[in-house]
Amino acid sequence: MKKGKRVLLFLLAGLLLGGGYGYYQYNRKSPDVKAERAAITTNAPALVAAFSSDEPSANRKYVEKIIAVTGTVTGVKIDTAGQATVFLDGNDPMAAVTCSFYDTETATVKKLTPGQQVTVKGVCTGKLMDVVLNKCSIVH
Amino acid sequence: MKQLAFTIYILFISLASVSAQKYFTKTGYISFEAGTALEDIVAANKAAASVLDAATGQIEFAVLIKGFEFRRALMQEHFNENYMESSKYPKASFKGTIANIREVSFQKPGNYSITVKGTLEIHGIKKEITIIGSIKVSGNTIQTLAKFPVTISDYKIAIPGIVSDKIAKTATVSVNCNYTVLK
Repeated sequence: MKKGKRVLLFLLAGLLLGGGYGYYQYNRKSPDVKAERAAITTNAPALVAAFSSDEPSANRKYVEKIIAVTGTVTGVKIDTAGQATVFLDGNDPMAAVTCSFYDTETATVKKLTPGQQVTVKGVCTGKLMDVVLNKCSIVH
Repeated sequence: MKQLAFTIYILFISLASVSAQKYFTKTGYISFEAGTALEDIVAANKAAASVLDAATGQIEFAVLIKGFEFRRALMQEHFNENYMESSKYPKASFKGTIANIREVSFQKPGNYSITVKGTLEIHGIKKEITIIGSIKVSGNTIQTLAKFPVTISDYKIAIPGIVSDKIAKTATVSVNCNYTVLK
């Protein structure tokens, strides 16, 4: 009987822990990229060149990583919903770096002007026409 | 007289070149819903690329699967790793033609209903589909809007039994892209 109770208690504890862990996992939010440190620091032309020369290896190196990219602003776009995007010169007529910003960053992005040097931090999602960074914020 | 003919010719050429414009965006918004009463599943991608050729009606879209943002991190991980296998199939695309492109006047602001026929590629599987959408012309910019169903099993995306009643059999994809003239 005593042993049975102990097993039951053990099972209950396991269930609670498992359930708690499951609940935690279920509610887990994506990390705030603004607060995280960049895993890789590079510049826009080097990033574009890496994807243009060998996309599979660039995917392995950069995709889903937080990277800080320095480059020259070629354009700023803020849509009607307030979503801000900055384009960085990739030293390539066909490809640049598209940086899609956090909604909270719109006011900061508005102050940018073409020709300006910036460092942007975001999560790399791969290359379409441009190399794309998501969840961006401005480092400096 | 000869000069008049020449002027008309030039006018005609310049008009033709106006209507032969191409439009593009790198910041298209493509989202989908695949929830059920048990679970709310919504994800959005704000960096879709799209090109539209006003002369031929050809239209293309592409998105990076890893660029879809979910509210729950775990959902995004399952979506990428288990369902879409996005390391293997990093992109989804649509290539098609606007069947009734002649009915769209790119010089005249307004809303035009369009029928687009083409190939949707998701998870490495290509399917012919027809989408009803619209084009909003306003000056030099245009907007495309569409909402269409995608049957998940058509694209060989395996949903395990344990979560199958939480994920819809058919996802609803929404497209909202704002284009500028491609110079």
